[in-house]
Amino acid sequence: MSVEIEPPVKKAKTFANEDDYCNKIIDKCIEDIKNSQKNLEPVLSDDFQKSIPLIKVFVGIIKDPKDLSRTVLMLNEKIPLKELQHLKRIRKKEVILCPTNFIIGMSSIQQYIECNVEELKDTFQYFKELDVPLSPPKVKQQFKEWNKIWSCNFHPNVYLEKLVSGNFFAPTELNLHRTYMEIAFEVSRWYILHLNLNTNEDDVFRNINSAVIVDPTTQSVVAVSFDNRDANPLQHSSMLAIDNVAKTQNGGVWSTEDINPDRTLSGISEELLNYLKPRYPSVRFGARKFISKCDISSDEYNGNPSDGPYLCTGYYAYLIREPCVMCSMALVHARVKRIFFCFDNMFDGALKSKSKLHTISSLNHHFEVFTGFL
Amino acid sequence: MVDFMKRALELATEALVAQEVPVGCVFTIEENIVAESRNCVNITHNPTRHAEINCIDFILHYCKTNKIDYKCYFTNITVYVTVEPCIMCAAALQNLKVKEVVYGCTNDRFGGKTVLDVSNFCDHSYELTGNLLSIEAMCLLKQFYKGTNPHAPESKIKKKKDS
Repeated sequence: MSVEIEPPVKKAKTFANEDDYCNKIIDKCIEDIKNSQKNLEPVLSDDFQKSIPLIKVFVGIIKDPKDLSRTVLMLNEKIPLKELQHLKRIRKKEVILCPTNFIIGMSSIQQYIECNVEELKDTFQYFKELDVPLSPPKVKQQFKEWNKIWSCNFHPNVYLEKLVSGNFFAPTELNLHRTYMEIAFEVSRWYILHLNLNTNEDDVFRNINSAVIVDPTTQSVVAVSFDNRDANPLQHSSMLAIDNVAKTQNGGVWSTEDINPDRTLSGISEELLNYLKPRYPSVRFGARKFISKCDISSDEYNGNPSDGPYLCTGYYAYLIREPCVMCSMALVHARVKRIFFCFDNMFDGALKSKSKLHTISSLNHHFEVFTGFL
Repeated sequence: MVDFMKRALELATEALVAQEVPVGCVFTIEENIVAESRNCVNITHNPTRHAEINCIDFILHYCKTNKIDYKCYFTNITVYVTVEPCIMCAAALQNLKVKEVVYGCTNDRFGGKTVLDVSNFCDHSYELTGNLLSIEAMCLLKQFYKGTNPHAPESKIKKKKDS
């Protein structure tokens, strides 16, 4: 008999230990996020950090400085440098003539000048090749570096300067972002306990991810989700969160049978909502009321059709872990405004680690990405 | 091959009639169709419900109810889709290790090969062929984008001008 009783007791004990371990890790993360003194960091495109890209150009040294302005006017007309507008054409007695690849098929820069601006054939004392910045500086810091190489034109963009300042969010904003990230951890905790998940010590957050979608205009949590990829390989937390937002707009496809009759609250499981509310009494939950096309065409409706929510337009997404390429693109399709994540995903993270999807200019929507909670 | 793409085009036409972005898709195993679907983003209010994602969900459900290992099942699947899979769908198909993807026209805006090559993210990548009945696929897209998306909110800028 004792043999029969023993195994379940033993099993129960290990389970309790694992839960306990998981709880401790989540507690620690939440504690660290709360106590963090750092501002969040934006994940910017590589052209903010990379070393200066250069291009080889021909520079002519002018014989008589009195000819400078006339020469530049003539060059701008005959050999315009459309791609290099950020460069000043003159530096003391030096004048940028053209990128070195312009003279392909000619024997020398002298010949090129004679062909294109005959009037300037005797203006230059000699020519030399120089490396100059290929692209315009984006921020003041880069402007300083660029100028050491060649004088540049630069108009600082106030927003970009603030982004790179390391001081982007005000303290009250930071507190909000941290609270929503904490909620992502609480969502994980609830699901781990609720689903009786057997989480492995090593990969508590390698395989577990939660998403919290917030409408910043109403400061309200619209939807939350917990990774379910073991059951359905499409159901990563971001994919689920997008579907949960759809439910608040009378849509959605996954597990729609037990949907909350109050559609504005249908992005969060009712039980989970009851767990979160007392823990975060100051946080609002629920979506703005969805306005369908039928509502708009009905006679009673007299609001503005663009007032209602559309997909995740304007929403912020808080994720425990950097999303994979599938989820990152899904969030682009959903038109999320900002993404916040806590842990890098070295394996297939697409917003920082393996790629920066949000910096691909050809995409039709771009969100901002922030990290650095811990 | 052409017949499968023709079927995908039929599904795409169905999407167009339903005022959805006209993309259709069929999944095949050994010359048999095992799943077929079309884009249904607008009706579901879920922008990830592309034709390929719907087919994947269908197969996952089929495997679950018939107790088949989906991981193994997907490796035998050839996908026919009227437009090059977007970055999201390409990643999903790659994660599931499908055998092959054949598409109609390229997707210059979100293509999972053209815009960002998702095969750089994973060890496994499927065989990819394009340009099968691409003119037909492109024609459907052009028809859709000639009209305006009836589900998008009215542009605020446009409204100001009107008033």
